[in-house]
Amino acid sequence: MKRILPHPERPAKPVLWRSLDELAAKPEFDEILEREFPQGAAEWQGGEMSRRNFLQLMGASMALAGIGMAGCRRPEAYIVPFTQGVEWTIPGKFLYYATAQPRRNGAMPLVAATSSGRPTKLEGNPLHPISNGATDTFAQAAVLDLYDPTRSRAVKREGTTADAADFAAKLEEIRAAAEANGGEGLAFLVERNDSPTRDRLLALLQSRFPRLMWAEYEPLGAAEAEAATAACFGPGTALAPDFNQADKVLAVDCDFLNASFSGIDQVRGFTARRRISEPGQPMNRLYVAETRYTGTGGMADHRLRIKPSEAGPLLRALGREVAALTGDSDLAAVAVAFPDSALSSDPQWIVECAKDLAASRGRSLVVVGDGQPVSVQVLALAINKALGSFGRTLRGMKVQRPAASSITELAAAMEAGRVQNLFILGGNPVYNAPADLRFGDLLGGISTTVRLGLHEDETSAACRWHVPQAHFLESWGDTRSADGTICAVQPMILPLWDGVSELEILNRLAGNPEPVGPQLVRETFAGIAKGADLEAAWTEFLRKGFLADTAWPGAPLNFNTGAAEGLASAHRMPAGDGFEVAFTPSSTIDDGRYATNGWLQETPDFATKITWDNAVLVSPVTAKSLGLADGDMVKISAGDTSIKAAAIVAPGHADGALSISLGYGRTTIAGAASEAGFNAYPLRTTKGMAFVSNASLRRTGDKYKFSETQTHQSMEGRDLVREATLSRYDEDPTFAQTMGMDGHIPPNISLFTHPKLDSPEQWGMAVDLSTCVGCNACVVACQAENNIPIVGKDQVGRGRIMAWIRMDRYFAGDEEDPEMLAQAIMCQHCENAPCETVCPVNATVHSEDGLNLMAYNRCIGTRYCANNCPWKVRRFNFFDYNQRPLDQLYFGPLAKKGMAESLQMSKNPNVTVRMRGVMEKCTYCIQRIEEAKITRSVKAGASDKSLVPFPEVKSACQQACPSESIVFGDIRNPDSRVAKLKAEPRNYQMLKYLNVSPRTTYLARIKNPNMAMPGADKVGWANGHPHHGGGHGAGHEPAHGAEHATEAHGH
Amino acid sequence: MANFFPSWTNWLPLKLLVIVFVLGGVVTAGIWYYFTPKYTNVGYMPTQPVPFSHAVHVEQLGMDCRYCHSYVEVAGHSNVPSTQTCMACHSQIKSASPKLAAVRESWATGEPVQWVRIHKAPDYTYFNHAVHVNRGISCYSCHGQINAMPVVYQAEPLSMSWCLDCHRAPENFLRPPAEVFNLNWRPASSADQLAMGAEYKKEWNINPPVTCGGCHR
Repeated sequence: MKRILPHPERPAKPVLWRSLDELAAKPEFDEILEREFPQGAAEWQGGEMSRRNFLQLMGASMALAGIGMAGCRRPEAYIVPFTQGVEWTIPGKFLYYATAQPRRNGAMPLVAATSSGRPTKLEGNPLHPISNGATDTFAQAAVLDLYDPTRSRAVKREGTTADAADFAAKLEEIRAAAEANGGEGLAFLVERNDSPTRDRLLALLQSRFPRLMWAEYEPLGAAEAEAATAACFGPGTALAPDFNQADKVLAVDCDFLNASFSGIDQVRGFTARRRISEPGQPMNRLYVAETRYTGTGGMADHRLRIKPSEAGPLLRALGREVAALTGDSDLAAVAVAFPDSALSSDPQWIVECAKDLAASRGRSLVVVGDGQPVSVQVLALAINKALGSFGRTLRGMKVQRPAASSITELAAAMEAGRVQNLFILGGNPVYNAPADLRFGDLLGGISTTVRLGLHEDETSAACRWHVPQAHFLESWGDTRSADGTICAVQPMILPLWDGVSELEILNRLAGNPEPVGPQLVRETFAGIAKGADLEAAWTEFLRKGFLADTAWPGAPLNFNTGAAEGLASAHRMPAGDGFEVAFTPSSTIDDGRYATNGWLQETPDFATKITWDNAVLVSPVTAKSLGLADGDMVKISAGDTSIKAAAIVAPGHADGALSISLGYGRTTIAGAASEAGFNAYPLRTTKGMAFVSNASLRRTGDKYKFSETQTHQSMEGRDLVREATLSRYDEDPTFAQTMGMDGHIPPNISLFTHPKLDSPEQWGMAVDLSTCVGCNACVVACQAENNIPIVGKDQVGRGRIMAWIRMDRYFAGDEEDPEMLAQAIMCQHCENAPCETVCPVNATVHSEDGLNLMAYNRCIGTRYCANNCPWKVRRFNFFDYNQRPLDQLYFGPLAKKGMAESLQMSKNPNVTVRMRGVMEKCTYCIQRIEEAKITRSVKAGASDKSLVPFPEVKSACQQACPSESIVFGDIRNPDSRVAKLKAEPRNYQMLKYLNVSPRTTYLARIKNPNMAMPGADKVGWANGHPHHGGGHGAGHEPAHGAEHATEAHGH
Repeated sequence: MANFFPSWTNWLPLKLLVIVFVLGGVVTAGIWYYFTPKYTNVGYMPTQPVPFSHAVHVEQLGMDCRYCHSYVEVAGHSNVPSTQTCMACHSQIKSASPKLAAVRESWATGEPVQWVRIHKAPDYTYFNHAVHVNRGISCYSCHGQINAMPVVYQAEPLSMSWCLDCHRAPENFLRPPAEVFNLNWRPASSADQLAMGAEYKKEWNINPPVTCGGCHR
């Protein structure tokens, strides 16, 4: 009896799609799909050397090597023990220290794993009150920043290497001068960091040199939001949203679900309310109004596309509705004060959204992006007041920050000649200061400019002195997390290249002797810590990484309506009918500070899937009207400045607006990122830090090649992601298991003998699509944990990216206003793995505990396994990416061989560094599993305790995930979290009809639309109608698989 | 009669013969080489910077393995002692011996002694000392009679098949926990070993991994 199970047809117009080419069914897209590895991926191409030449060369070198058989003999290796034992260090074991990464929006509490004195991996500090042990992409990639071989290594004076003693002398000279004139002409420009020690040293400096100028600049800071908060609630007040308490959330131009820009606690708070385990459970609802698609927009139940300038009018209209519904006179006054202007959005959207928010008074929240002007910020605060958010979903905190001037004030002082000695500690203002300040030019007129930086960048080039900065993993310090808790910053390693920290420079300027070790921080600590036993408190501080009960105290939120009215009435709508250009933070390299970090550069932006570049995002409608296609170079002009950049058509983008992410187009970067992207900072002025209006756009006629990953290894529309509305889930909880083909398949039989899965533990993973934001933390965590090399832009373009986790991004619906879905795909560890049956050398086999193993030393690189993998998760090392410089990949044996010494230090010692010609893929972090098993056995010793229930093993992706969407564990243990998730009705296998029995399963995404909203009928139907829906018309029906489930379809 | 075969074929049989001989030779040489202890480095005995004698320290002085290899029971890597460990005794004993010049120099300069590595698993193989010594496998099983070696050499091939011999039948090597670091201990007979090993294996749930992932990560 023959069973034919045809793959579902690819619909002519797919419901779920990954790129516009796929939606339009362009032949180029099919061609990419047809080839397992893209055109030429398997061929020797590029460079001047043909394959034949290469073989000749190789033959010759092998013949030479063969003489005397010297190449066959094992080289002599050495064991180099310590001269003197190092405290706590056990060779071969990780040693963990608590530390923290200072950030502008509050420190990221971390635990660093060090191996023989070198940090190799960072995890979140689970003890810290606002961390659940999770991290984000920036924290995961910080290790690579530390070992970055392009970091600056020497003190430079006017561009030439100088002696550190010369700099010390200069510092002393400046100090003596300041001592004499009270700090006249002395100025500092620093980054935001709530460091108690820095504050203490500043106070000390100010007491000695009362006339010094202290300025702070963050290109993506929250100056507008802070100004609004200060005006409405009094200075020194800060706000902390509590998404865990919010049933209804409206986010306007605010990507709060990106933990890098908000905080781990905000993502966790929101997604906790998104996680449902059984029908009937309530769920929060998210409204988003934004310009381009962000992860937050992808999670939205209702999303409105607005131009950045429309945030104000939108909130005004919403505010009037809310004021009417709640009878709040303060809000009414503020909304009236805000100047009226036309709004193109559907008024019903606003009315219904307002109704829904007002219906959950005290349990709703409105958040606005940090970049929006202060007038819009106060409007949102007034709405929150009317909604009763204060004290519930929005809490006040009393913060203590030293007063700091803005960069505008500093620039004015520089222009007026009031600055003679300027210290730029961190940051890169020449590159990222508002363009109208002409900061770089101003620097030329200052007699002494000292720059402390990790890299020799644009600012270093414009300064007289450059001093290498110590990375936060190399220096002592302290900082505060967003809630105000003081965190310890501990060095994991001595400065690799003689870097000094900001604190050391300030300390020297204060005339203090050079501190020994943590002395500086400890002095501050002594002034803060309570209790008699300071030594014990200090030890506890370092051990736990933070000082408990130091969070900012709560503050009552008394809304100052008059001030708010005044600010709101000052709002100016941009004039002119040109384009609005929104400046967005880069989800991968932030404001440009991580531009040298290959892990981050190679992480595809979640929405655009572009690596190593940024792009001008244009909506499909606008692109059509301008005749723009992906990769067209455009010239954007605003005022008298213009930039050139390449455009990309972005589904879901607001019409009439453009978005470009900041941080790219750096000019002073060496290495792989030297030509990455386009600099948008020249368009950004003090008049509009979030967006510039009335810009014009012109095609230059040139084309630019992006390296996108969105069409790599695409899996055609086969209901891989599954989604439903909350009401559908409540009616039919198992909808995900009967969707698409899954309702039709007869019981599966396998032709292959199954591996014996007889271990007491059986590993598996569940990924909850309801809470996955697509933030890429897992992708970078995996890269850090598993020694995954980067391949460079050119190789990514050829489809050779090595990342073991692919963050798939799907669009659903029409191209103008689609839904967006995220799905992390890694090796699914199929029980009937198709890769295993085709490997000619048994390099990929199954273990008794359900892992699909990859024995690198057996692999001969046939790539059959990758061809036969239905998930396309296997990665082939075409070149020796770990060993070769990325610009010499095609030089064959002439290429420089060997990794930079500092990069060797960054590798995880427990994972093989794979070589060329070897297939690799996700291992479920087998090194962590084996470590746990060994620990258990060692503990058992000569007893039978070696099978006690397993200590918790977390995979690196799970540990990093801020939303706890990835859960790994023993599926045979019914009490494990993963087993419980797999027992949920939302749980489904991808491509179930193939009978490969993947160990990784997904939990279908649930959306919670408000049926009164316009377009609500389209929300939550990403899968559309069932696969053979020819006769079903275009209507969105529930999958009707259930009635077929028992039907025998065998023929 | 026309030539059926072009003239170059005249040399073909000879060429074939040469190729067969060369190929045969290569195969023979390959097998000869790869199956000899030379390839697996059994007997590899490099000259060390310090003529350290295990025989003197363990057999004559009765020192325990773990005095120097102090982390063998807790870490995957069995540490080679730091200079400090050597100097703990040798600052008093034989403090002027020329044989210890390298150790004293290391202590004075802070530069570590560079011992030549003898036992080496490939980089893609993760051997863990702690789990072996805690579960009844003696140092002896892999390092041989190292306690009696005046100069250390590699006693066993450390090849994968050699590893698997034990992983597939650990009962042949399991010994009483108290005798793990007693390298002179021998079972009364091979039958005794088998009986005792089988009992330990059952009692302690010894189930060494034989899948790739046990050692290759």
